[in-house]
Amino acid sequence: MAAVELVDIYYERIYLFLRRLGHSRQVSEDLSQESFLQAWRHIGQLRDGAALNSWFYRIAANASKHYWRSRKGKETAGIEGFEGTDGSEGSDDKAAQLEEIDRLEEAVARLPIKQRQVVVLHYMEQLSIAEAAESAGVKEGTFKSRLNRALKALKNEMGS
Amino acid sequence: MEEEKLKKLFSELAEKTTESARPGLAGDIKGQIPHRLIPHRKGMDTINIIIDLRISKLTAAAAIIITTIFCANFLGGRGSTGGGIFNDGILMMRYFLTGASVGESDLSAAKLKYEQLVSQGREAVYYGEGIDRQDSNSVVLHWKVSEGEYRVMFGDMREKTISSEELIKLQSAMLQKKRK
Repeated sequence: MAAVELVDIYYERIYLFLRRLGHSRQVSEDLSQESFLQAWRHIGQLRDGAALNSWFYRIAANASKHYWRSRKGKETAGIEGFEGTDGSEGSDDKAAQLEEIDRLEEAVARLPIKQRQVVVLHYMEQLSIAEAAESAGVKEGTFKSRLNRALKALKNEMGS
Repeated sequence: MEEEKLKKLFSELAEKTTESARPGLAGDIKGQIPHRLIPHRKGMDTINIIIDLRISKLTAAAAIIITTIFCANFLGGRGSTGGGIFNDGILMMRYFLTGASVGESDLSAAKLKYEQLVSQGREAVYYGEGIDRQDSNSVVLHWKVSEGEYRVMFGDMREKTISSEELIKLQSAMLQKKRK
């Protein structure tokens, strides 16, 4: 597959993944570019074509991790809202549901980076446990335990 | 909160947090694709391949020069010093890399050739930097080809095979010029 086609297939997915991890639009764009640069640099290490998806996510996840590490709390996750997320219209039920979603979004943003990553990969990017674990660069067991910890923390927050 | 409800909320959150990337982003990323990952265009192929190999310019220059000499030798090209690909390569590299003027490079090439000939056990004479480079008949270097026959390299790097009589004439003319 040509490099240009890879960009067409993955750039929006990677950008959105980075946004969901809590980066601003500008940072997500920068990190997307950085991720593709890393991908070109290490494309020789890619052995299995089927793992391309996880491979791209993994590179982006690493770029994000390095970014957070270098910033150390200077940027708050999820601070920049998503486009078209106005919850002011509709019935009371709908408004309550949107409020719950907002609360979940905030709770995800407060999770530690590693836990936030597993939640986003599995529940929002909808990768299987195996794929998501590979994307996070951990074994399935580790991934599951991180996911459980994240879910527990989220349930506590949402339940309160 | 129920796990199922949480999962449902997640899928709604995923929907809510769907946003399009800036249209120009794909173009920006594509602009950074290394040449080796783009189908090669005519003309720039060799340069791109060398850049993508991430070898130094010096190594790339050496590779090009040696390949050129190898092809020239293989196709029976003229201009080789006869000292083998390696020595010819060194000669060309010196031309290529020294910032010296053409004349100085010519002389150092002649000197290098002289050293080569001597190392091959040939009878060779190098006349040094003192020659008049404006004079196209001044001899920089000569070496014996066979009995009564000499190969001469002139100041303008021209080479010619001459007889011993002609060589003596050239040497005499050079001496007379020097005396003046």
